[in-house]
Amino acid sequence: MTDKFEISFIAVVIAILSFFVYALLQGTTIGYQPPSACSVYPAVNTFKSGVVEIQPGVYEVRIVAARYYFDPSTIILKNPKKVIFEILSKDVLHGFEIVGTNVNVMVLPYYQATFTWDVPSELKGNFMIICNEYCGNGHPNMYAELIIER
Amino acid sequence: MNFKLEDRFSKIAIVFAFTVLAIGGMFGLLQLLTRTPYSPIQLSPDQYYLSLTAHGVLLAIVWTAFFIMGLAVFVISRELNINLNKYLLQGSLILSIVGVIMTTAAILSGTSNVLYTFYPPMNASALFYLGLTILILGTWIFAATIFLAFIRWKKATKSAIPIATFGVLTTLIIWLEATPGVAIEVIKDLIPMSLFNTPVDVLEARTYFWYFGHPLVYFWLLPAITLWYFFIPRLLNTKLYSERLPKVAFILFILFSTPVGIHHQFVDPGIANQYKFLQSVLTYLVTIPSFLTAFTLLATMEKSYRERGGKSLFGWIKELPWRDSVFAGIAFSMILFAFGGIGGIINASYTLNALVHNTTWIVGHFHLTVATAVTLTFMVSSYVLIPAIFNKAIIFKKLTVLQPYLWFIGMTIFSTAFHIAGLYGMPRRTADILYGGLAPSIWIELAQIAAIGGVILWVSGVIFIFNSGTSILKGAHVAMDAGSLFEKVNEKETILDRISVWVILAIIIIILAYVFPFLQIYSRGLSPAPPLPP
Ligand code: HEM
Ligand SMILES: [Cu+2]
Ligand SMILES: [Cu+2]
Repeated sequence: MTDKFEISFIAVVIAILSFFVYALLQGTTIGYQPPSACSVYPAVNTFKSGVVEIQPGVYEVRIVAARYYFDPSTIILKNPKKVIFEILSKDVLHGFEIVGTNVNVMVLPYYQATFTWDVPSELKGNFMIICNEYCGNGHPNMYAELIIER
Repeated sequence: MNFKLEDRFSKIAIVFAFTVLAIGGMFGLLQLLTRTPYSPIQLSPDQYYLSLTAHGVLLAIVWTAFFIMGLAVFVISRELNINLNKYLLQGSLILSIVGVIMTTAAILSGTSNVLYTFYPPMNASALFYLGLTILILGTWIFAATIFLAFIRWKKATKSAIPIATFGVLTTLIIWLEATPGVAIEVIKDLIPMSLFNTPVDVLEARTYFWYFGHPLVYFWLLPAITLWYFFIPRLLNTKLYSERLPKVAFILFILFSTPVGIHHQFVDPGIANQYKFLQSVLTYLVTIPSFLTAFTLLATMEKSYRERGGKSLFGWIKELPWRDSVFAGIAFSMILFAFGGIGGIINASYTLNALVHNTTWIVGHFHLTVATAVTLTFMVSSYVLIPAIFNKAIIFKKLTVLQPYLWFIGMTIFSTAFHIAGLYGMPRRTADILYGGLAPSIWIELAQIAAIGGVILWVSGVIFIFNSGTSILKGAHVAMDAGSLFEKVNEKETILDRISVWVILAIIIIILAYVFPFLQIYSRGLSPAPPLPP
């Protein structure tokens, strides 16, 4: 490869990609991390859902995802700063997306997903929670609501 | 030399592919209208998911694979001037078709609405999985047929591999790298699940699936790129800017197209962040060959203009043969593929992915890549392949020019609307976007715009099927020596032509990228879930 245009083009491509990788690395340090923690949870019927404020502004929200509902179906949080979600599917694969935020996670049956959401301080009002992975005929009816009060 | 047998294979495979494209496209339209609030056509949810399963399986897997097989046989036999083994060729075609018929029957019976990703523990009928297994077996025999002939040629000539053959071989190598993943998933997990109700671990199954699912996209794309490398210089009466850079690009695809599947699982719990990050970076590397392809092709276009004495900096763009259907179709494919690639970098980003995962952004994305860069390229190439393989002239020449323009316009509208809607969080794979009235009004507006684009796109598809169908059946006979499309090169082989070296390197990279995620999954202990009907 002796052509000078080829060489300079390859150099430009490598520069662009290096910048992207640098941006990725930056991104990992400013807060958002993919929801990767999980634990196997074969005794799905013992899982208890509910919302608990464990410290001021820090909530633990345990959710059951099943055909075709989320339990609890309305989640109300007052001045949340951090939300620790623990979600378990009792039957098939579901998705958990809070529309308009970066909360988006696959909910695998018999695995409990655990992740923390740093709630942006300006966020308030009503948000749709939808299942965003096909789970059966009732999939378009699988949604819930999150209400953030400030 | 006589290529009757090879051409018969290509004819059957291509006609089968066109039929599947017509059926799959019909389902696409029905889906699109169902997703559009207030449209007159509304499928019920079970019809919708039947349609979506058929659309995904028939278009993403069957249409592409059959067209590619037909094309591969044509390219290998003519460019290398060799015959293929008759029994292997026929066996592979029969198995592949039988497999497709079984899977399609399972889908149409309504018992297998599991979509083309068929995630367990949702359970389809055993016929669905058995059909897929037989199809894969057929494609493996097909790949073996091609490689046996190639090895014979290589021993006899010891020369460098011509570029189109190089593209076909790369395609098949990627298919062979990828398919063991889905074969393991189906044989180890899904067939036992559907026959004996055996529980399945979803994380494990998804990881095997996406080990296959990502390289699958390069299996679609590489034949399209090969056709670009093949047609562009011929249409412009020049030579490729470089013969070496395309081979480097193909080799990079061999190396990096497989160890990246986890970028479909960024938001799966159960795979550690560092492995997700590694595969994110590896995905960036696999953009390099796409960049190189863009460079070589654009440089070839500009070169042909300069050779004709053109001076102005951008004048070459205007001088390109925009009224030639093959050129226009390929150019539109390249343009939309560029946007598909930029979007793909966003999808593959470790962090940004959460914003777009499972939204209509993704649907917009792959309708640019597989449904345009690949499908539109295959469509316009057919305007040359029909005379070359079927010896039939295209009947409606003007329609061949209109068709790629309509596809381009329709797809631009459809895909842009779906990309934007995805950023507003609109989910894919849903039969009804209203969510009991909670849905933001912007979703509805964007869905309606997408519907306009989708209808234009569909009309273009109908024109294509009509024109190529009537031409194959009723076109005037043309005596075309297809071998003359290819030029004879007799260069010495270089390290780039030593494909086995690159395959070994690829296997090493794949092992490095996947051994740790799998260790993590298995050492944690599996958590299998019992199967349930859709
Ligand atoms: C006739 C033009 C087409 C239209 C109107 C169309 C429309 C659609 C729509 C609306 C969806 C999304 C459905 C949903 O997520 O709920 C979809 C999904 C899809 N389309 Fe198309 N499409 C067309 C052509 C194609 C072509 C040519 C291909 C591939 C070669 C293709 C491949 C796919 C795939 C793989 C999916 C994903 C299926 C899934 O989520 O399981 N489409 N299509
Ligand atoms: Cu769902
Ligand atoms: Cu991918």
